[in-house]
Amino acid sequence: MKRTFTFTFSWCLFFVLISTFKTFAGFPIGKYRNVVVPTFSYYRQTDRFDISGNIIKGKPGASFTSFSANLYIGYGISRRLDIIATVPYLYQVNKLAPGPGNTLINQGAGDLLVGLSYNLINFNYIRYLSVQVSGIAPLYKTNGGESALGLGNYGSEVKLMYCGNLPKAIFDKGYFNTELAYRRYFNAQGPDQVSFTGTFGYPLNKHNQLSLDILLFRSFSSNKEFNNNFYAERDYAFFKPQLNYGHQFTRRFTMFVGGFYVPFGLNTGVGYGGTALAVIKL
Amino acid sequence: MKRISYLIILSICLLLVASLKVAAQEQEEEAVETGDVVLKPMPQNKNALFKSNEEIRYKIQVSNNTNQYQNGKISYIITTDEGKKIAIDSVHLSIRGSSNKELLIKISPKGAGFYRINFIVNLPEYDDTVRRVFGVDPEKIRSQLHKPTDFDVFWKQSREQLAKVVPSYRVLERRDLSTDEKRVYAVEMRSYGDILIRGWLVIPRDGKKFPVHYRVPGYVVTLKPNMDNDDFIAFDLNVRGNGNSKDVINIGTDIYSVVNIDNKDKYIYRGVYMDCLRGLDFLYSHANLGIDTSKIFVEGGSQGGSLALITAALDKRVKLLTIQVPLYADIHDNFAISESYDKQVFPFKVFRKYQSQHAGFTWDKFFSTFDYYDPQNFAPMVKCPVLMGIGLLDQFCPPRCSMSLYNHIGSTNKEFVCVPNSTHEVNFNYFMFQNLWLREKFRIP
Repeated sequence: MKRTFTFTFSWCLFFVLISTFKTFAGFPIGKYRNVVVPTFSYYRQTDRFDISGNIIKGKPGASFTSFSANLYIGYGISRRLDIIATVPYLYQVNKLAPGPGNTLINQGAGDLLVGLSYNLINFNYIRYLSVQVSGIAPLYKTNGGESALGLGNYGSEVKLMYCGNLPKAIFDKGYFNTELAYRRYFNAQGPDQVSFTGTFGYPLNKHNQLSLDILLFRSFSSNKEFNNNFYAERDYAFFKPQLNYGHQFTRRFTMFVGGFYVPFGLNTGVGYGGTALAVIKL
Repeated sequence: MKRISYLIILSICLLLVASLKVAAQEQEEEAVETGDVVLKPMPQNKNALFKSNEEIRYKIQVSNNTNQYQNGKISYIITTDEGKKIAIDSVHLSIRGSSNKELLIKISPKGAGFYRINFIVNLPEYDDTVRRVFGVDPEKIRSQLHKPTDFDVFWKQSREQLAKVVPSYRVLERRDLSTDEKRVYAVEMRSYGDILIRGWLVIPRDGKKFPVHYRVPGYVVTLKPNMDNDDFIAFDLNVRGNGNSKDVINIGTDIYSVVNIDNKDKYIYRGVYMDCLRGLDFLYSHANLGIDTSKIFVEGGSQGGSLALITAALDKRVKLLTIQVPLYADIHDNFAISESYDKQVFPFKVFRKYQSQHAGFTWDKFFSTFDYYDPQNFAPMVKCPVLMGIGLLDQFCPPRCSMSLYNHIGSTNKEFVCVPNSTHEVNFNYFMFQNLWLREKFRIP
């Protein structure tokens, strides 16, 4: 019986190279290590999609703009188990119509998310399948159960993540991260939210990369009411692609900037904007 | 609303299909087996290591690659790693042409140790044997240390003699070998017995200070500049008689390990072990090149595994140790195990040949020298974190000997990786894990 080993060492080196490009999501952080990711986002909408997906022009002078700062902190408790937390801070400008007195401004902390991520399987240390369980707590007060900064309810989320190097048959280098999440807010109106995130990253050279994020998001609720502010909305859906450019300044510090647009959605805004984030590995 | 839901479902399906396809491709890439009837034994525990109170199970995948119906038997024979037969059994095999079948073999629990298991297929027109090894409670394997009483004094004196040799370091940038990302330096220094040894230093350009990957060579192996490390300075040392360190000692693999073996004071490995320490001296005296002397790890495979271990044992400046299939470990048990081989292999092939050609060179004489050099005797002195990889089918470094050495290592922060189908090597997974292990220990992002 003849055995032919086809293992090549270059795979190993390939991974080492690519690992420097990876973003934080999906990959185990690593025992005793920390990842801090501050993110700044800008979102704006003037028009909206109706419940059938048709674009409805916004009222002249009306718009919704959100500036948000989000801090993600992750710590590797063991080789498989990470604890993560995200804290957002929001600043929203909701213009209902032109002129003074028609603008609502809200600011404050949003929904805190704290969770544990566990690596279920590593596939030859090239790809990883992980699960994350998180709890959500509003960090703001509500007025009669309502707030512009969020849904005002506690919630929980279960997320399955699969990530790693792209198969060589597709690209000779690059990585992917996919996440399937289910989120439930503890309220009679829910909502129940299902989302799928796919990220594909391609290194241009040792320090630069391009990545494409695709987000499919669906929120189910008995409350079908449209809200210009999607943070406070319960029943809607959208598809959001985002293109990013990343630059690794040092082994510990990488920055990404990106822009997004919502080409179609249901009962939500025709949004566009951008993000800037830093991945800091401590 | 439906469109988004459908897209989510479609994405998940595509993801699952792609994952399964990739997983299947990777399995196929691992090994290709050919033959009329192929046996693929798979231990229930992936690393083929079991507990002493655990039933040993193998799933055997039988593939009939012919178009004919096959009728015969599959036998298995279990022996100790010294060749003592302890179990034999067989099952009837009938399999249609171009089909697959699975058989489950259950073996009663065994005591701590390593066992050879041969699966034999006997058909009217085809016979074949697949050789495997499984281990039981390898961390409970104990071996006797044959440490001479003056062992510590011997190595203390060796180090004192090394210290008297002026290193006369030379560092020469090799622009012809350097790249945009890394600078390559040829380095040389004087070592034990005033022998000139050389090595290669590769320094990434994008940084000021780096941890060091210090690699020592396998048996008469030439180490070249290691250009594959982005996060470490790579220092590859050719000990005397290896690679570009052959000015004085330039001999082949047939006799390298027996040069002056009849005299413990002059045995070639005395200088070789000291060369490894001199390499460490070099690193410590060149921090100005960006060497982070607080983060030096030593690595080696086969002879290099032993050299790395001895370096960490004799010099506490080594912060991490990674070794694969350490040669010469537990030399007494290695000798006993090698007696059971149908055909002699290195290293006892060389030792036996020398012994047969030199009247008066008894095995007692051999051990009276080699006990000063057996890596196992150095193991208790290793106090830094250790990672070791072994191959279960290894005959050069039998797994029992590697594990005996491992169990004698003085550090409590130690791990080993067992590769069941490897001979004198580890696999891709080991190196992937080693990479993560190093990053974890050195907190490298």
